[in-house]
Amino acid sequence: MAVASRQIQYREALREAMSEEMRRDKRVFLMGEEVAQYQGAYKVSQGMLEEFGDKRVIDTPISENGFAGLGIGAAMMGLRPIIEFMSWSFSLVAADQILNNAPKMLYMSGGQFACPIVFRGNDGAGGQLGSTHSWTVEGLFANVPGLRIAIPSTPYDAKGLLKTAIRCNDPVFFLESERMLGNKGPVPEEEYLIPFGVADIKRTGKDCTLVSFGRPVHFCLEAAEKLAEEGIECEVIDGRTIRPLDIDTIVESVKKTNYCVVVDQSWPFGSVASEVATQVYERAMDYLDNRVFRVCSDDVPAPYSKVLEQAMLPNPGKIIKAVKQAMYLE
Amino acid sequence: MAIEIKMPRLSDTMEAGTLVKWYVKEGEQVESGQVLADIETDKATMEMPTYDAGKVAKIMLKAGANVAVGETVLILAEEGETVEAAIKSVGTGSSPTSEAKSEASAADSSKEPESSPTTTTATASATPTSNVASSSNGTTGRMLISPLARRIAEENGLDLKLITGSGPQGRIIKRDVLAALGQDEEPEQASTNPPLSTLSQMVASPSTHLGDKIALSNMRQTIAKRLVESKNTIPHYQVSVSVNADLLLDLRSTLNEQLASQNVKLSVNDFLVRACALAIHLHPSFNAAWKGDSLQIGEHVNIGVAVALPEERGGGLVVATLRDADRKGLRQISAETKALAEKARGKGLSLEEMSDSTFTISNLGMYEVDFFTAIINPPNAAILAVGAAMKKPVVRNDELTIGHEMSCTLSCDHRIIDGASGARFLSTLKGMLENPATLLV
Repeated sequence: MAVASRQIQYREALREAMSEEMRRDKRVFLMGEEVAQYQGAYKVSQGMLEEFGDKRVIDTPISENGFAGLGIGAAMMGLRPIIEFMSWSFSLVAADQILNNAPKMLYMSGGQFACPIVFRGNDGAGGQLGSTHSWTVEGLFANVPGLRIAIPSTPYDAKGLLKTAIRCNDPVFFLESERMLGNKGPVPEEEYLIPFGVADIKRTGKDCTLVSFGRPVHFCLEAAEKLAEEGIECEVIDGRTIRPLDIDTIVESVKKTNYCVVVDQSWPFGSVASEVATQVYERAMDYLDNRVFRVCSDDVPAPYSKVLEQAMLPNPGKIIKAVKQAMYLE
Repeated sequence: MAIEIKMPRLSDTMEAGTLVKWYVKEGEQVESGQVLADIETDKATMEMPTYDAGKVAKIMLKAGANVAVGETVLILAEEGETVEAAIKSVGTGSSPTSEAKSEASAADSSKEPESSPTTTTATASATPTSNVASSSNGTTGRMLISPLARRIAEENGLDLKLITGSGPQGRIIKRDVLAALGQDEEPEQASTNPPLSTLSQMVASPSTHLGDKIALSNMRQTIAKRLVESKNTIPHYQVSVSVNADLLLDLRSTLNEQLASQNVKLSVNDFLVRACALAIHLHPSFNAAWKGDSLQIGEHVNIGVAVALPEERGGGLVVATLRDADRKGLRQISAETKALAEKARGKGLSLEEMSDSTFTISNLGMYEVDFFTAIINPPNAAILAVGAAMKKPVVRNDELTIGHEMSCTLSCDHRIIDGASGARFLSTLKGMLENPATLLV
């Protein structure tokens, strides 16, 4: 398959997804800070203003609450907006719009108004941006019913999941990572979509199940390679979407390995990792030979110091330790 | 106050114990539940744990000393108490143990325990005084076990009390259960635990020579005492029957073939245990104990299986108890017997694992024995002696052919069971063994 050898960046995959969907459906438009004239704060939307014009690629003032609400109104009236947050950290000023309006609209209107909108942007720490700009929002937002959360770890998944997000009739929170925008990976030229709620087994193994979402999937793969040198074969499951959660794939793997480590860059308390662990207990208790281990960000605001910030985040070393503890190897 | 640790009564019939080995030394801090020493009783060598924490002030006995139950063997200083004060508070002159003490104190200052402690995990199961804490792990009395390990054990009918946990706080985990089942986690490294049939390898002992005079171990003394008592007080008689084992052997090999992937390997003995347990249901007097002025029909059918011990551990014989054998399937009987036999030959059985049998089977089939009789194991009413299923010229359907015949000889207590009853029991047993499907369903 010749197409599979095409390697593009994560940011290019996002751009392709948006551009293809905008060509396909005139109702789709992109709105956010610096998305048009500046070609995107992180160059995700580079060239899109030129192709689609200023009616469909729209620069906004620095007013997340305003343009998030504008997008929700547009979605309710039949358009399909893509709202770019430069960082998900900045979405918090729009919390009422994105949490209190978008996900509840279908329910509260008795089915009269859907809210087919995509909120997307950078999620996660690791760039020395300080506490307020280093949010990982998955733990916080996953608690809310009515929304979907996609969190791709590769260019291939980014494109396929974003196209599905744009066609989805519910609000989708699409969590990207500034640290991964430059990552390259194979992406075919022909069209494909990745359904929500289908995890991807990024590495097969029989000894321990590693479950992760987004950037930490790469830490898991790195840890799995190192553990393989010691003869420990980890199965790395990339959930790809948090809501819906593909618990079946996770449970099936745990039934095979009997050990489970969940790696999640949100804070540990009430985290995505906690939810995965609970569902594993609910469905696979009798297959567990040990408790489920969680590797999360430490329970502190993200430090500015590079060293401390790295120490706070999940990393391969912490994952290796957790796997060994889970398997009673240390 | 100082705490005096006394020789515990580790079995109903124990009057004195021999200190085999100390695991602690003077001056050492010990925790509640920690094993202090190995004690040899009339039945087995067992671990003696402490229920108190403190510092070992004085060890009163040398390894090898034999003292009566209740005598002080060790003094612990409580927290905040000096060793000297602890020894003084116990006093030295009036105790009946003064002889042992002075002997010990002369030696103990120079005497170190022969080996350093290798384990501090309490094995509470060895002490009959602990009622709840019959688990082999943890010091809290609660059995710690992973859900997976519990499930595997249940599926295989494994008694968790027989397993020592290797996880944190002695938690029983998957590998412990698999090890107990004789399965390794890696199939290619599957351990080949010796089945009962390799017992014969243990018979030849180079350690005994012609002309030797050998001191009696506690176990040897107990065997002697109990069997003499049995033979002198129980009016034994024997009834024998020859069992056509063709179908039984066929069934066994079919089952073992089909269950090989699950590491199930049934022995002829497993079928016998099951058959006897079921036969007892039809003949309850075989579950009785002679009480002098009454008969007590046992509520539970607990089948004792005689296990010969390896010569290098001093030889001898113990009876491992398969509790409620009538309620267990072949797979469970097989797994439990295997685990008990291995434990008996290894670290030894706990008192609980040797108690309360109501009927005993002695099987010498692995030695190609044709026929023998056994001595009743009191307070049982009977014992079954089983020979090997051997190829013999037999008459089947009025034709002379080659078949497998196995002798079953029942020794009965005539006070409880009359000859015709013994014959009827054997007839039931023979029927089951010759129609072995009855043992499956």
